[in-house]
Amino acid sequence: MKKSIKAGFAVLTASALSLSGMAVQSSFAAVKHAAAPVTIVWYAGTISGNGLRADVVSHFEKLYPNIKVKVVAEPTNTDTTRAQLIAQISGGATQPDVYLGDVIWPGQFGSMHLALPLNKYLPKSFFNQFAPGLVAGASYKGNVYGSPWFQDSGFLYYRKDLLAKYHLPVPKTWEKLQQEARFLLNKKAVKYGFVWQGSSYEGLTCDWMEYLTDAGGQVFNAKGQPVMDSPAALHALNFMRGLITSGVSPKAVTTFTEPNTMNLFNAGQAAFLRNWDYAYTNSQTKGQSSVIGKVGVAPLPTFAGHGTAGYATIGGWDNYINPHTKHLAQDLLFVKYLASVPGETILATKASEIPTNNAVQHNPAVRRLNPVLSIVAEQHLIARPSQSPSYAKVSQAIYTNINAALSGQTSTANALKQANSQLASAQSSSSL
Amino acid sequence: MRVSRLERKYALAGYAMLAPALLVIALVTIFPIGYSVWMSLNNISSTYSGFQFSFAGLSNYITVFHAPIFWQSLLFTVMYAAVTVVVEMVLGLLVALALNQPIRGRGVAIAVMLVPWTLITVISAQMWGYIYNGIYGVLNAVLMSLHIINTQVLWLGAPTSATISIMIADIWKTTPFVTMILLAGLQLIPSDLYESAKIDGATGWRSFWNVTFPLLRPSLGLAALFRILQAFGLFDLPFVLTNGGPGTSTEPIAMLAYKAIFNDGNFGTGTAVAVSTVGIVILLALLSLKALRTQVGEID
Repeated sequence: MKKSIKAGFAVLTASALSLSGMAVQSSFAAVKHAAAPVTIVWYAGTISGNGLRADVVSHFEKLYPNIKVKVVAEPTNTDTTRAQLIAQISGGATQPDVYLGDVIWPGQFGSMHLALPLNKYLPKSFFNQFAPGLVAGASYKGNVYGSPWFQDSGFLYYRKDLLAKYHLPVPKTWEKLQQEARFLLNKKAVKYGFVWQGSSYEGLTCDWMEYLTDAGGQVFNAKGQPVMDSPAALHALNFMRGLITSGVSPKAVTTFTEPNTMNLFNAGQAAFLRNWDYAYTNSQTKGQSSVIGKVGVAPLPTFAGHGTAGYATIGGWDNYINPHTKHLAQDLLFVKYLASVPGETILATKASEIPTNNAVQHNPAVRRLNPVLSIVAEQHLIARPSQSPSYAKVSQAIYTNINAALSGQTSTANALKQANSQLASAQSSSSL
Repeated sequence: MRVSRLERKYALAGYAMLAPALLVIALVTIFPIGYSVWMSLNNISSTYSGFQFSFAGLSNYITVFHAPIFWQSLLFTVMYAAVTVVVEMVLGLLVALALNQPIRGRGVAIAVMLVPWTLITVISAQMWGYIYNGIYGVLNAVLMSLHIINTQVLWLGAPTSATISIMIADIWKTTPFVTMILLAGLQLIPSDLYESAKIDGATGWRSFWNVTFPLLRPSLGLAALFRILQAFGLFDLPFVLTNGGPGTSTEPIAMLAYKAIFNDGNFGTGTAVAVSTVGIVILLALLSLKALRTQVGEID
């Protein structure tokens, strides 16, 4: 293992000495023409269909005939995948060589040494090709552990037919959204005003991050201390609770995950929906939607007086390299390929996921395929506090308490106080 | 008593022949258990060159015993084991008594009864998940059509109903196992005992308590022992149905250890939970075995 890393180092130091991206290319070209074919294992989920992985792999193998990539399917549950990777890699397994992992893993995987710090092996120019904010989300303590592959974030979906009928603008602030939803409810145009993910799970942490950041609040301050009992946080949580008490969002929103909200919106029962990028295509699919041609998409709103667009929580998946790999040079080529313009174009056109490569993201031909893509550039992105190695516990401290406040089991102020104290103990690495 | 040289020689030869098997047992059971105990006594960090151990004494155990979640999970597991084992024993006995009668189609009945037990738990748990689903679950549909409830209930969404739901799935699956053990026990009881009881004027109820029950006690003890051990290892049902939720209200002790080790990467604390559980289970097993042994002795 050490030997191969050293060999990789040699390749990279040689290329770093010549200080140019071209040099990296040429030293990798040496690997490309090496005699013996090498097989690397890529552990990756099905994403949005079985075809995507096979497509990128066959294109890559055409470019690098001496490298074969074997795809091993990841479980669909992100936590199960993580548990398997922790068991295998911490035990020293040399495979998988490259694996697709959640954007919230870098903190834990960096601190547990389950992923290679890519910035030590790849030039700065590699990281500059990504859309802003993504590299920071893939970093832990100054090292970059993931190579962003596809991006996801929160969007506001709205019924453009209803807004047009009642001459309402697309809301830019949360207050305006609440007011318009109320108006549409009063007109009996819809059954529900605004639906979002309020169940006690990771998805609520995502939604919460958006309101919290819009209000100017944070989970941890720059020193890493929990500061979620701030006035800004209280403002955000009171607003969310107000959505429910005012009837703009149904009470059952506190049990909603993505599919529940999607179904209501597709059935034409909700005026506004907060959801991820897949929601547009989903709402325009025959047989599962009654709002085809009636849906608009916009950046999420923000609180009045807090800028022009709201924050959207970063989701998505990155490619990571197993530190025990025996084929580092080949792994790096593959990771580089996946993030490159050809690799990302296949992803964006075949899977209609948001590509992480800035150039592909801004390619008009790709944009025409999915209107969500033209919104991406206007968004402000916010990463969940996954820099913490114990993010799983951090997130649980957030969503259980926010959910308790939303469902009225405790006061908003009390929930934030409780969350803050649990955040403090969640940071202790050995706590149960 | 003096052991003769020949006997000693035989004994040595015996041990020599057993040695390979003992070695295998040592490798596959004693080594992992010993290694877990060793892990639980260390702070373990995962590095690029493997695990790094630093001896921590009993500090992981202190962390575990001071964590409210450990006691909550232990209480849940104990309560879960108590309820499911008692219900399964009673139901299993009733079914076994029925199947012990010379009724027609008994073979078919036994085969049908065994179906839940032969299904893989994660798969049957997934099916129960569809039944309990709050939005399109069949349980809600049935109860609503019978006008027992008028709004959809999130069965797995509240602590009490989630616990009961998991228990029902367990009882459905494991009662056949108890039935099989008890049925085997019932068939070992000689029929002339019932005949003589009848001659003595014993009613069916009387002959159950005076003949069947005492002679069935070893089987009951065995079934209870198996079930208690299995119940303490409860993992797959809540893993599929609730993932320990809502909150941590249906998180059994095995899942707590799993989450600590494989979600949080706390190898030391996680193995301390596992080793503590092993200790409790061994204690329970010894107690059950002791109870079982006295029963066997009495019958002799």
